[in-house]
Amino acid sequence: MNDWIERQDSVVNRIIEGSITIDSIEEFENLLKAFPNDPRLHRIFADRLLKEKSFNAAEQFGRSARLFLESGMPLQAIASKIFEWRILKPSREECLAFHSALLECNPRDTEVQKFFTKLTYEEMTALMAKIVPNAIPAGTMMIKFGDEENELCFIVSGLLEETGYHRLENGEKVKKESETILTEGDIFGEIYPFEEEQLSLSDIKSVTRVEVLKIFKFKLIAICREFPNLKLMIRNLYKHRTESHKERLSKTIRKATRHQLPMQVNLKIFQDETGKLPLSLGGFTDNISLVGACIVLGAKYQTGNLANLTGKNVKIQMNLPVESISLNILGNIVWSKEVTVEEKKTAIIGVQFKDMSDIDREVLKGYCCGSEAEQNLIWSLWTSLMEK
Amino acid sequence: MDIANGKVDNTSIDRKQNEDKWCQVKEELNTENISTPKIIAVGGGKGGAGKSVISTITAFWMARMGNRTVLIDVDLGGANLHTLLGIKSPSKTLNDFITHKFESLEDICIDTGEKNLRLISGASDVLSLANPHFSQKVKLITHLSRLDTDYVVLDLGAGTSFNVLDFFLIAHKKIVVVTPEPTSIQNAYIFVRNAVYRKLSRLSGKNPSLQALIKIAMDPKNVLKIRTIKELFQFIEESDEKDIIEVLRKEIGDIRLQVITNMVKKEKEENAGRIVQIVAEKYLTISTSDLGSVSYDKHISKMVSDMVPLIKLDQSSKAFGNVYEIANKMKRD
Repeated sequence: MNDWIERQDSVVNRIIEGSITIDSIEEFENLLKAFPNDPRLHRIFADRLLKEKSFNAAEQFGRSARLFLESGMPLQAIASKIFEWRILKPSREECLAFHSALLECNPRDTEVQKFFTKLTYEEMTALMAKIVPNAIPAGTMMIKFGDEENELCFIVSGLLEETGYHRLENGEKVKKESETILTEGDIFGEIYPFEEEQLSLSDIKSVTRVEVLKIFKFKLIAICREFPNLKLMIRNLYKHRTESHKERLSKTIRKATRHQLPMQVNLKIFQDETGKLPLSLGGFTDNISLVGACIVLGAKYQTGNLANLTGKNVKIQMNLPVESISLNILGNIVWSKEVTVEEKKTAIIGVQFKDMSDIDREVLKGYCCGSEAEQNLIWSLWTSLMEK
Repeated sequence: MDIANGKVDNTSIDRKQNEDKWCQVKEELNTENISTPKIIAVGGGKGGAGKSVISTITAFWMARMGNRTVLIDVDLGGANLHTLLGIKSPSKTLNDFITHKFESLEDICIDTGEKNLRLISGASDVLSLANPHFSQKVKLITHLSRLDTDYVVLDLGAGTSFNVLDFFLIAHKKIVVVTPEPTSIQNAYIFVRNAVYRKLSRLSGKNPSLQALIKIAMDPKNVLKIRTIKELFQFIEESDEKDIIEVLRKEIGDIRLQVITNMVKKEKEENAGRIVQIVAEKYLTISTSDLGSVSYDKHISKMVSDMVPLIKLDQSSKAFGNVYEIANKMKRD
């Protein structure tokens, strides 16, 4: 399985979060050349093309669907495929090909992802015909306490906060002790068992921009009547969601903590012309992972043609606080953008690391996150002191 | 384009000379001289934890309690503390001191409108000063101890560069601000961890008998697979270097970390600082204490974005009261 999330680059992270926006289609295409296998980046590009009513949007959605499947994310692949097929009606052969790719997918460890790889061809097409993709801005109240539960939502991307309540006999609500964070691969909407009319016992609000695939309860009931096995699969989804949620949240948070430490760096940017001295710049990392970094260039950077930096090889020297140790990492500038820091213009560049020894990787990991034992203790204390 | 000032200390200046200067500075700061101000450093790794807000309100309360206080913006990579005091464009900054326009820190202190409270604003030419030369840093630190004041509150920048850690380590009170989020806890801990490593690094340069041993063991690439300070101490103990271990324990023990949990919305969140304390005590073998927690106050973020001076915050604000308790505790310690 292509474990791309673990190795995801900082630049890509920032684009996905929305903290960096890509101005032009050309800029996006260059970025995709640098990160050709990142399904989320392809998906964002496809959305952009769709917004601009470009004919290439369908092809781009198709590409992201394929990459999502390769990454073990069938839910996200289905979301992309729905958009592709809305633009270009598929032939039966194309639907069959997608279904067999779905069956071959090795899904990530959530029940929702596994659910989509177990569908028969007929179940898949019936569901895809009724499922509606929905993009929700951050801060939107999706469900309020007391609302009638009439749809099931699969979270494709983003974070939501669920605040649970106890309902008193007089109909009033009492807040439960803790909120729950829902993230991609989770579901919400209490529509099972189908026979019961349920009123929501929670408020569910989007924390970030969220994409969900939703299906109305009455439509799902109709499909389940036709395909009884699907009803059993839906029951399993509800059964397993609580246990799997906590484990995944822990992983999500641990991954997130690895990218936040500013560090000063010296850069040597190599010129294309032979014999020309490398360009020397200083800066600090705005965001760093084990495969790349976003670097804000220092004061001596002056506004220039940033396009000239893209594609250049760069040597990054990171000086650790232990005086005798510095890391030298070779990389490639894959992206650059002018930004304003403290009312001064400078530039932020995205560097993809090319060459780093295993030892240096270990050192960088230790510097940014501490040892495995220290991380484990932090996480276990977080669980016991903050969550329970 | 040209190279930034980002040279590593020991690449440009003789390391031994640096160490000697550094020791002189430290001795000056540690002199039991009645006129030497108490230095409080507020750090914590990642940006956004509220270091500047805590520094400002702490300095405000110190001043209100009758102590002459100087608040200094040492965020040399992104100085903006003046905005929290409602000062749009400071007339003098640290840059003027470092570039010899003024010879004393006293000359660049700005009145804040609050009795007993003065401000030294961070360098306006921010990015160029993000990593000052060793001599500039020594000059700055030496002059801190000469300020005619009771307390100096240092608002440190984000990150764990040499300079941030060095300012943190020279302070009499080393405070880390953490918020109840996993990223903040992780980054606050890493900040402390790197400060401890920085101190060990400096020790190894000062004492030749320690140097070889510590250098091998501290190198994260070491084949001994020592990954934490605790493991380093165990290794040294097993190597029969009893004297060395005593020196190390004393030096590291002197760090005495104090933790503040900021932006607390519910009681359970007060445990965030406790997590940093427990992990630091276990793996860094340093002593820690809890200075308390500060409640989340939405008015504070509004005041910050509107550039309303924080010292005008409604004094019935719970957060304001929390910092008062913390300032009181600091004074008593």
